[in-house]
Amino acid sequence: MIPQDVFVAQRKNDWNELDILLSQEKELYAHDGPTISRIASLYRALCTDLVRAKSARYTPDLAGYLNGIAGRAHSALYGARPIRAFGISSLILREFPQSLRKNWRFFLLSTALFVIPWIVGQAGTMAEPSFAKQILPASQLEMMAQMYSKGFDEGRAAGLDAGMAGFYVMNNVGVAFRCFATGILFGLGSVFFLVYNGLTIGTVTGWVMNAGYGGNILTFMCGHAPFELTAILISGAAGMRMGYALVATKGRTRIGSLRESAREIAALIMGAAVMLLIAAGLEGFWSPSSLPPPVKWAASVVFTLGMTAFLLFAGRERKLA
Amino acid sequence: MRVSQTAPDPIDTSAAVETPEHVRFHHQLAGPARRAVAYIIDLVVRGAFILVLAIIILIAGAAAGADFRGLSSGILAVLYFAAEWLYYVLFESLWSGRSPGKKAMRLRVITDTGRPLHYLDSFLRNILRAADLLPNMYGLGLVVMGRDPKFRRLGDMVAGTIVVVEERGDITEPLRIYPIPSPFELSALPQRVPLSGDEIDALELYLRRLPKLHPARATELAEIVAPAFAKRLGVRFRGDARRFLELLYFRARERMAA
Repeated sequence: MIPQDVFVAQRKNDWNELDILLSQEKELYAHDGPTISRIASLYRALCTDLVRAKSARYTPDLAGYLNGIAGRAHSALYGARPIRAFGISSLILREFPQSLRKNWRFFLLSTALFVIPWIVGQAGTMAEPSFAKQILPASQLEMMAQMYSKGFDEGRAAGLDAGMAGFYVMNNVGVAFRCFATGILFGLGSVFFLVYNGLTIGTVTGWVMNAGYGGNILTFMCGHAPFELTAILISGAAGMRMGYALVATKGRTRIGSLRESAREIAALIMGAAVMLLIAAGLEGFWSPSSLPPPVKWAASVVFTLGMTAFLLFAGRERKLA
Repeated sequence: MRVSQTAPDPIDTSAAVETPEHVRFHHQLAGPARRAVAYIIDLVVRGAFILVLAIIILIAGAAAGADFRGLSSGILAVLYFAAEWLYYVLFESLWSGRSPGKKAMRLRVITDTGRPLHYLDSFLRNILRAADLLPNMYGLGLVVMGRDPKFRRLGDMVAGTIVVVEERGDITEPLRIYPIPSPFELSALPQRVPLSGDEIDALELYLRRLPKLHPARATELAEIVAPAFAKRLGVRFRGDARRFLELLYFRARERMAA
């Protein structure tokens, strides 16, 4: 076994070289070819040195120093994989509907948690208008009624459409992400957001219908609602799936159980995000347009059928005859 | 040659990684304080990004007239959304697990097996911020982090990631003992000191920390272990426990170098 001083003297230059290369803080692909292979071979040599330093019981400081470089070199060499457009499209087009079908029970539950409060809110408001004021402030209700009093026969200014579309992206995707993320609290956060949103949307709809503008609000909603509401339901389902993984661990640790479900959950939430982007575009530009209601309703039917077909059939394995 | 034992990993703020080269090394885990500073840096970067673009867009909007006002507010809303939800995913995916704040604090996100970050991991861990920041100021995330041996917040647990520190180190000089032990001092010790490698390492860590310790504290610490070593060696040590540990270390290293 060679003494530490000799060992350090022999290998020091290589370590320094690697340290300097890593300290440039460049991503690996930004280096030229020979440099990359140089980093790789220096890294492998350093790994050997680390093992030697440990087994020879040189001072712990030396092992710590080598360990630090090894860690940095490992992170640099095995850095993040590139995002491939193909990977994302197959995630959205295949894995997303697959995991939704696999988790249909959660979707059903989240639908119930959303639709039942909606019905309660709407029916309650229509039967007894003072019910609505228990749920939302009167001023907000009046504002909503005001908003839908005119209808969209003349459309809106084009600039305003873009502004609203941007707002819907920010607001609705944010709501969906929060609805999903708070599912980590044993599903409770998702349940809260589903019930809360169902109740308020139901109440507003009921209030506007009471005011006599039901046709306006429903015609406005019919285009984007299939995408938007389904996406919120999927986010809630993903959140509850996550909460369920924490409770029903099936013999694994809670974290192990969470990890097991992570890929499915990520596919669900990515899919929901894409649906919300579609919805925001429709809600900004299509829904408030001056197209006659029959056209909007026909489109709504087409959208709904298309989306349902996608969620039901996309990504199915082809059965071999 | 020492036979390596397969002992469980010690309780420490580090995470072991076994590389494809079959070498085990340890990443140093990042604690809440350091990550909070990185978060604040990122917050400032995001704030500056929105502020600068908002000013440009508002000026452009004012110049273009009323028709443009709706569009500019829409663009702003999308930018705000991007800064809130996409900023981290984008940087962590493009910069191998580092956002600007993390880079400044020499932090990196990796998976808990030491593999590089996948964009879906980054996506999950950053959406889960919405839960970690509850009820206020990342309160829940901090509590969860404090209770986890790997300092993971909820997002890290779902995504299977850890945050590590990549500190640049220096090659330190071998430890020298001053004053150099005299043959008389060493004569009190046996030729062979039966110390395990871990014990020698512990002695070295103690001796390297000596300049940073208050002399009284240094003596106090030495007096805890010195009698145990003296008993094992079958010698009586007189007086200075700290000096005794220095001699012990010197003798052990002397034999290893020989």
